[in-house]
Amino acid sequence: MTEDEKLALLKTILLTDDREYAESITHKINVLEEILRERHRLSEKVSPIIKEQLDDFTKNIPQNLGPAITESLKIQIENSKDEVVEALYPILGKMIKKYISQEIKVLSEQVNKTAKDTFSMQGIKRKMKSIFTGVSENEIIISDLGNAKVEQVFIIEKGSGILIGSFHLKETVDEDMISGMLTAIKGFVEDAFKQSNHDLQSIEYDLYEIHLHNFHKYYIATAVSGTFTETLENELENFNLEVSQEINKKNLLDSREALEELLLTRYSALKFSNQ
Amino acid sequence: MISKKIVIVGHFGVGKTSLIRRFVEDVFSADYKVTIGVHILKKTVHVNDKEVNLILWDTEGTDDIEEIRKAYLLGTHGFIFVCDVTRPVTYQNIESQTQYLKDNFNKVPILSIGNKSDLLPKGSISEKKEELEFLDMLVSAKEGNNVQRLFEKIAKILS
Ligand SMILES: Nc1nc2c(ncn2[C@@H]2O[C@H](COP(=O)(O)OP(=O)(O)OP(=O)(O)O)[C@@H](O)[C@H]2O)c(=O)[nH]1
Ligand SMILES: [Mg+2]
Repeated sequence: MTEDEKLALLKTILLTDDREYAESITHKINVLEEILRERHRLSEKVSPIIKEQLDDFTKNIPQNLGPAITESLKIQIENSKDEVVEALYPILGKMIKKYISQEIKVLSEQVNKTAKDTFSMQGIKRKMKSIFTGVSENEIIISDLGNAKVEQVFIIEKGSGILIGSFHLKETVDEDMISGMLTAIKGFVEDAFKQSNHDLQSIEYDLYEIHLHNFHKYYIATAVSGTFTETLENELENFNLEVSQEINKKNLLDSREALEELLLTRYSALKFSNQ
Repeated sequence: MISKKIVIVGHFGVGKTSLIRRFVEDVFSADYKVTIGVHILKKTVHVNDKEVNLILWDTEGTDDIEEIRKAYLLGTHGFIFVCDVTRPVTYQNIESQTQYLKDNFNKVPILSIGNKSDLLPKGSISEKKEELEFLDMLVSAKEGNNVQRLFEKIAKILS
């Protein structure tokens, strides 16, 4: 096969894939356009991923291939920005695609839920409320969604399950013991799903959902109450990522007081986008 | 205050849970409630003017430590291997069991202890002690003998 033929083949594969993909999402495209318009939200979402990739790139390349290549790459990049963009485009395209399909999932989840609610008791109650108060039903739906709240945050050492620091709205049961139990449950589940490499992402407990986000030496367990949608879950994950970057930057793992001060300032000020 | 993870291991019914309950809540019950999975309790002890927060992982009994979920043992600071002085089967394989811990958890201290010392016939304690010389300590969750000392000892090793 010549280079041209290979290219043509590659194009067919890529385009076919895209066409099928496009067909499968046409019925959701209207809703999607709305989201795509919020460009900066998208870039907010993607830029940490790109940054991570670039960081990896700069970290590993010099090690593996030697400084000479890095140097020539630098010059190459400087001289041919367009080519670089082109080279990166497929990777970014994949990321964006992944992001979009995630968003579609979120949307359909919401749509389904709303549709179901129209027929549910809650929906009927809301209709009544709307009739009697004159507030539109949509607004009531939105206000119903607005009560998600972070109740408690634990920074827990991986493995040992020892509590490194915490934030809480009200005093609760023993936090050392909760940290240990969460770690035991997490270990149990991850052991059980070892083959499929699943991390335990959340635990539903009583009125709370506890979300677990892994970092290098520790994980953050965030207990939230209220209606917690996938969108908010993403927001929480991003927020925790920011907090962890701050923890690392300021080296707070060994100073509980300073760590908890940071947690207090950050989490008590946390507002989700729907609030 | 520093926190340390202590994992208590040993055969079924040797009194792991009873030891922890005696230490943490100062109670004892003759009922046997099997532990499933793992249970976590904690207590602070004072050693050398310092406070050490012991986070105690009470594991389910097993005649082979290798069967305990690895995840439960990660990051452990100290092991307590408990056997029942009245049941040789609970200490016959103690050497291979503690060797397994040494091999897999390099440098983590292990205390081997014999529980239910209250059941030893009064006249024969010193003989029995000789027979059980491979143990670091004899304790009784029922009567409380040496229980406090055991946990203080491990806290001291770790602080
Ligand atoms: N006489 C006497 N009985 C004890 C002592 N410690 C525990 N027991 C009894 O031994 C039985 C088992 O005790 P547990 O503490 O449940 O034993 P365990 O090791 O936690 O058992 P598993 O969780 O199944 O592994 C219970 O009936 C206790 O009352 C002791 O010091 N003396
Ligand atoms: Mg038990």
